[in-house]
Amino acid sequence: MQSLFKYVDDREQKNAARAMALEDLLIKKGLITQDSIDTILEYFETKMGPFNGARIVARAWTDESFKQYLLQDTPGAIASMDFPTGMAGAEGEHMKAVANAPSDHNMIICTLCSCYPFPVLGLPPYWYKDPSFRSRAVREPRAVLKEFGVNLPSDVQVHLWDSSAQIRWFVIPEQPLGTEDWTEEELVKLVTPESMMGVAMVEKP
Amino acid sequence: MKLQHSLGGLENVGPVSTERNVFVCEWEKRIFGIHMAMMSLSNHLPDRPDNLEFDSEWTWADLRKGAEAMNPFEYFKYRYYEKWLGGISGFIISEGYITAEELEDRASKYLEGGPPAVAGQAGPEVDGQILKYMQFGDSPKSDVEKTPRFAEKDRVRIRDNHVTDHTKLPGHLRNKIGTVVDVSDGTYSYFQHTGPDGIGDAMPVYTVMFEQDELWGELGEPNTRVYADLFEAYLDVAE
Repeated sequence: MQSLFKYVDDREQKNAARAMALEDLLIKKGLITQDSIDTILEYFETKMGPFNGARIVARAWTDESFKQYLLQDTPGAIASMDFPTGMAGAEGEHMKAVANAPSDHNMIICTLCSCYPFPVLGLPPYWYKDPSFRSRAVREPRAVLKEFGVNLPSDVQVHLWDSSAQIRWFVIPEQPLGTEDWTEEELVKLVTPESMMGVAMVEKP
Repeated sequence: MKLQHSLGGLENVGPVSTERNVFVCEWEKRIFGIHMAMMSLSNHLPDRPDNLEFDSEWTWADLRKGAEAMNPFEYFKYRYYEKWLGGISGFIISEGYITAEELEDRASKYLEGGPPAVAGQAGPEVDGQILKYMQFGDSPKSDVEKTPRFAEKDRVRIRDNHVTDHTKLPGHLRNKIGTVVDVSDGTYSYFQHTGPDGIGDAMPVYTVMFEQDELWGELGEPNTRVYADLFEAYLDVAE
């Protein structure tokens, strides 16, 4: 048993070497091209990321009818905006938005793995995939929120959405007070990935 | 059932990580990309070019199955993408695309300072198929029509089906009673059949709400509700 917990000193170097070696061999054997992996990474850096979610949230804040549309028919509302092709693509096939309110706070989780709405939020941050968040948030969300720096009043109802089949949820956070006359473009800059996962509030700078 | 099927509610695991980076080491980007490429090229996808060198089925289910099959102590020892690296390398070797020796040999050259670059013959159809998958995905929604057994507001008891190697039913929901709050439109299949666990064929899917005291008793936090997306095979009538 003890050997299970022995870490080799060059663990990261070995991991890196194996990952690079694997990619090289897949290229050499003709399974992928020299560009395949960079193409995929660039897709998530430039086309499908939290910058899309931020635009959706800012639109929902400035247009109540859009917000209602988004909550009733998330794919339809997203398709009505001007996004690149792919908003219903990989891990975006069945997305659903849930909205925070003064009395309700939503959080997303995937207790079995790491399901996440790629087109609106991009790729999940490390903490979302770590077993400690997946174990704890589902039973003691307020304690977990405190560790993220969020103190939620005890009378607020917490709703935890666990993606265990096809649906990929995301959160429309509350618009910060004092930003009512801000433009959509200004509001986009305030929205963080964590706020669309329910572990942060959006703050007015 | 293994510990990793039932992480929800596990106590004494320490503070949560608040690491906001997606990748905590540069190499993790490469294995993420390899996984997405393999999913894009998987031979179960419709309208896929017929001359692809990669001719295996590879989906999220295969990746999850690998992590669920791990020794639970190892599961907690390795970081997220380390599990991917192990599972994906093992699969590529077991399918015969490369040998374990080739991988070790090339990896050791990296440790010694870096091997010369490789060249390959894969054509543009490979990256075309990758982009197509990224943009259009692989929806599990099915044409099969089935009348949902349950309706909104129905009380349901979660079954405790036997798990062999893979499940989409979180352990902390087993034998608990919840309320159906949404019936998904249509039916949904899963990438693979999970044997006695019961999913694979197209079936209705529900969003079921659980009150925290049903799940955790006095250990839960007041004013907390858990919602899970559950295949019909996991639900029974609550008596």
